[in-house]
Amino acid sequence: MTATEENRMDFSAPAMVEGIAHVVAVEGSVAWLEPEQTTSCGRCASSSACGAKGIGTTASRLEARRFSLDNQAGLAVGERVVVGIRENALVKASLTAYAIPLTTALISGAMAQWAEGRDGITMAAMFGGLLLGLGLARLSASRLSTRGELAPRFLRRADTASVCHPVTLNMPKAEK
Amino acid sequence: MKEYILLMVSAALVNNVILARFLGLCSFMGVTTRIDTAVGMGMATTFVITVSSMADWAVQAYLLEPYHLGYLRTVTFILVIAAAVQFTELTVKKVSPPLFQMLGIYLPLITTNCAVLGVALLLVEGNMSFIAATLFAFASSIGYSLVMVIFAGLRERLALADVPRLFAGPPIGFIVAGLLALAFMGFSGMSTN
Repeated sequence: MTATEENRMDFSAPAMVEGIAHVVAVEGSVAWLEPEQTTSCGRCASSSACGAKGIGTTASRLEARRFSLDNQAGLAVGERVVVGIRENALVKASLTAYAIPLTTALISGAMAQWAEGRDGITMAAMFGGLLLGLGLARLSASRLSTRGELAPRFLRRADTASVCHPVTLNMPKAEK
Repeated sequence: MKEYILLMVSAALVNNVILARFLGLCSFMGVTTRIDTAVGMGMATTFVITVSSMADWAVQAYLLEPYHLGYLRTVTFILVIAAAVQFTELTVKKVSPPLFQMLGIYLPLITTNCAVLGVALLLVEGNMSFIAATLFAFASSIGYSLVMVIFAGLRERLALADVPRLFAGPPIGFIVAGLLALAFMGFSGMSTN
């Protein structure tokens, strides 16, 4: 096995999560893109047989997920490009958005239950903890954004045969 | 304290939402092609199940029960779940637009996830206190996320394996899901000890 193949078989190596996006506008040195992927299952190529195709496919939803990139590659409107984020960025984003508020809500609820033991007070404390957690999540997210950890990167131009979100582990099939 | 820990272990492992109660099977098969999508979906579902269960408990205790409106429970809970998903979507969007761009794709799918409604109905049937109901919902959703991530890891490796053509794709996925359910049946022995 060559060194390259060994590297590809290393499951612990940080991988990029890839997706395909359309360039919808170019403003100076900034390109605005909309993701092509329309379901979380990442199988747009088999959308004719997909039960989730009606969900989250409206233009407004895609517009809400519009993002910008530095247009160093000279992208033009209408081009399809492959963009990527580091795999651990998605985990960090999930933990920031969901785990922090849930943790503060559960801790404050448990403390209220231990101190008072009444459902109404526990509920109020949990709601307060949830709001506090959302505030902390906002701080944490802005820190991640400042460090550029949530920003997608341009990887390459997509060819016409590319489908969104293929299995991108870039590993060879197991030898027979 | 001990009863809460037992309740959480039971909800997460012994009576796992997916592998013991067979709820949320659509997302179990649909969103587990990659670990990162499974993590995103699992965390979003954990948040929505916990928040909507808190709201469902309040609606049940302060509205449906006192006014004898139990027959409206399912309809009301569906409404509460849809509202909880909208609340989560708006909150994530407000907290951080980059996070919403990254994670927003998972949220609409949760509205139709039967695990969310199933957990809400289970905790009402259990006649739990508010804190017990919240911990039960949280642990159930952690069990859901755990199974999603394990199964996604298995499927990522299956994608690289030399599977016979007839079994490639969903068929081998169902077989692996069955084996995983059998493995989780091992936890049911804990309930008798």
